[in-house]
Amino acid sequence: MIPENPFQDPLRFERRLPECAVVIFGANGDLTKRKLLPALYRLAYERRLPEGCALLGISRTPMSDDQFRAKMREAVSEFLEESPFDENVWNTFAQGLFYLAGDVNNPEVYRNLASRLSEIENTRHTGGNVLFYLSTQPSQYQAAAKGIGQVGLAKVNGAGWRRLVVEKPFGHDLESAQVLSQKLHEVFDETEVYRIDHYLGKETVQNILAFRFGNGIFEPLWNRRYVNHVQITAAESIGVEGRGAYYQEAGALRDMIQNHLLQVMATIAMEPSATFRPDSVRDERAKLLRSIRTLKPDEVLQNAVSGQYGPARIGGERVPGFREEEGTDPDTQTDTYAAVTFFVENWRWAGVPFYLRSGKRLPKRVSEIAIQFNDAPLAIFNGAGSDTAPNLLIVRIQPEEGISLKFLSKRPGSGMHLRPVSMDFNYGSSFGVRSPSAYETLLLDAISGDATLYTRQDMVEASWAAVEPILEVWKNTKFDFPNYAAGTWGPKAADDMLARRGHAWRKP
Amino acid sequence: MAATIHPDKILREMSDLWVSLSKDSSAETAAGVLRACSMTLIVVAEEGADTMQIGETLAALMTEHPSRAIVIRLDPSSDRPLGARVFAQCWRPFGQRRQICCEQIEITGPEAALADVPAVVLPLVAADLPVILWCRSARVFAVPAFTQLAALAHKLVLDSAHFKDSVDILERMAGALQHGGQVGDFSWTRLTRWREWISQTFENRAYLARLPRISHIRITHPQNAVPISAWYLGAWLTERLAKVGSKPQISLAPVSGTGFGICGLELRAEGASPLAVSMTAGPGTIAEIRVDGVTSCTALPESTDYLLMREELSITGHDPVFEAVLPAALALAKQGAR
Repeated sequence: MIPENPFQDPLRFERRLPECAVVIFGANGDLTKRKLLPALYRLAYERRLPEGCALLGISRTPMSDDQFRAKMREAVSEFLEESPFDENVWNTFAQGLFYLAGDVNNPEVYRNLASRLSEIENTRHTGGNVLFYLSTQPSQYQAAAKGIGQVGLAKVNGAGWRRLVVEKPFGHDLESAQVLSQKLHEVFDETEVYRIDHYLGKETVQNILAFRFGNGIFEPLWNRRYVNHVQITAAESIGVEGRGAYYQEAGALRDMIQNHLLQVMATIAMEPSATFRPDSVRDERAKLLRSIRTLKPDEVLQNAVSGQYGPARIGGERVPGFREEEGTDPDTQTDTYAAVTFFVENWRWAGVPFYLRSGKRLPKRVSEIAIQFNDAPLAIFNGAGSDTAPNLLIVRIQPEEGISLKFLSKRPGSGMHLRPVSMDFNYGSSFGVRSPSAYETLLLDAISGDATLYTRQDMVEASWAAVEPILEVWKNTKFDFPNYAAGTWGPKAADDMLARRGHAWRKP
Repeated sequence: MAATIHPDKILREMSDLWVSLSKDSSAETAAGVLRACSMTLIVVAEEGADTMQIGETLAALMTEHPSRAIVIRLDPSSDRPLGARVFAQCWRPFGQRRQICCEQIEITGPEAALADVPAVVLPLVAADLPVILWCRSARVFAVPAFTQLAALAHKLVLDSAHFKDSVDILERMAGALQHGGQVGDFSWTRLTRWREWISQTFENRAYLARLPRISHIRITHPQNAVPISAWYLGAWLTERLAKVGSKPQISLAPVSGTGFGICGLELRAEGASPLAVSMTAGPGTIAEIRVDGVTSCTALPESTDYLLMREELSITGHDPVFEAVLPAALALAKQGAR
């Protein structure tokens, strides 16, 4: 019997990972070059990847192992952030990089894959552990999973594990999400499927759990009695950047709100988990998503705003409208901005609006959660010279990760004049160490079998169920687009949506 | 010798310092200053020995472990009275207007006045937060009054490599642990990367299966006198391998080189399925690794005071692995001394 490794020291060592082979489908794509390889190299640089780990890239372009290594070296040195590139570490890391050319739809590629994996296992001692990563077009997910299954690679013979990482989008509506899950389940068990949502890998999003459930002082306030409303914003200052054709099919509601922002909302609003085990946390997230009230068709236009940016001049430069972007239809009805009011039907949150918005070509790139608390029940300082401002707890996701609490304080001097002040916790300054990128965190988790930050089938379906009535109504509505100028905070209808409940969007 | 500095005065000066920082900052940027403190870090050093280095190390530590730092510099030959000054370590995170500041108090005086220092330091520690004492001087450590200062701290950190008598310092640390104290030793901290590599190597199940048959361990070090790091590493390997039923023979050998640490390590299993694992510190910050005939390189960052202290400050509770190894290292060192 093989003993347990007696050398572990979790207090001082980074989390230990098992040896494994990572198979990336779509190895010549942007995601692999910009995110996956830099993240894996960074893990190797920090000695968090075991020596025996191997990476086998698959894509259609014919290339040798050495050509693939050279290409990936170029990509890592270009896209590595906040880290030095070390030639010696790269050389060792690159010994574990391999390449296989082939089309995902061709059964032969899977026979070749089986043979390469067997070689790799013998030379790198990967222990039968394989992480398949689908970084391809979503339309190829089913073919890839089926191909893996047909050559028996989805099941282990003896020791080891098999896992499948899937990138969003997980379908384009509830039905297609269910079909996708069903197809994946023909090959992989749900416990082996890791649906990646990189937002959940961000340090601040993880810190929401620590903040809420590691401290005793916030949880008593975390309910309808004290919270007035919640705003979740994911704004981008850029446009579609050449992805017009893809984006035209997706839109802001599908691309951001259905997945990233609803997952963030679930993290903010979920009930405390009994343990910090993956399924325990995911059960609570799923429960929250299922508690979101489904909008009736006649409620949609009052509670969901669709927007599309038009041309504008920003900083002396003309910025094109969405319909002028390459690959877009001049009459397209695609939403580049979406704002939705959600309500959660449970005892904790009944009646508290959750406003979610996301858009392109907004004034700045910022993602944050703002929890606005109720005013003091009696305003005894409302005399002349006093500012009034609500208490706000702001969780900043990007670009400067941190948490701020805004409250009123007495202005120094005579008289009782109040002014708002901010108490800030800043990740960058409070912890001077570099935060791992979301992909580093999530790849580590997948290799070590921790699915806490991955999305489960029921969570995907619940979030589709929440947005599908909106998509249905929008599909049958002709909007008068463009309805906001690039560089502004979105359409007026979004302001009106909040104003109807006496609220206003923050301008982060 | 009576104390000639008063904690109340120092506290007042600290308070004034924050007011002036706030005013300066408001005038300059209108963004204010942010006060950060997660612990009290007391540093004891000899006057003049490494003033600049301590300052730089503390400044680097502040960003990750913001603390109220109390630096005590003692001069063995001086008869000046005790003195104190208060200042702030501030930095502005990249791209931000607001400064982050930590308080620093510097107490200077003759070594003979060490007995007066604890009474000054006690009111200065930040309330409700851990107190870490970093002793950088073997000589001050030997002064009897040092124990009063150590009694204020939750954790004592030192570098046993600077102590001439290995057995004596190991005994003193083991004694502190027995009395419920927490101790950190840079000679142990320097081994983290080596230990981590060994652990990672045996994550591989093929190698792990051969672990009970490890029969020889060879540790090379740079001096004729065996450094405490070598005792620690030998003790750790022996203690851990005993858990899988292995009782290897350990040899320690000097090789050319300088420093306080380890130069190389070899583990061998013989028999039907042999295994040879070795790691050798190479030039710069790279180490060469050989496992079962396959050679690779890994980064082995230089063990600066900043990196060592940073690791120790991240462990403010008990460290069960170190606490199990320390008595075993003492036993090995005693055998070696005989």
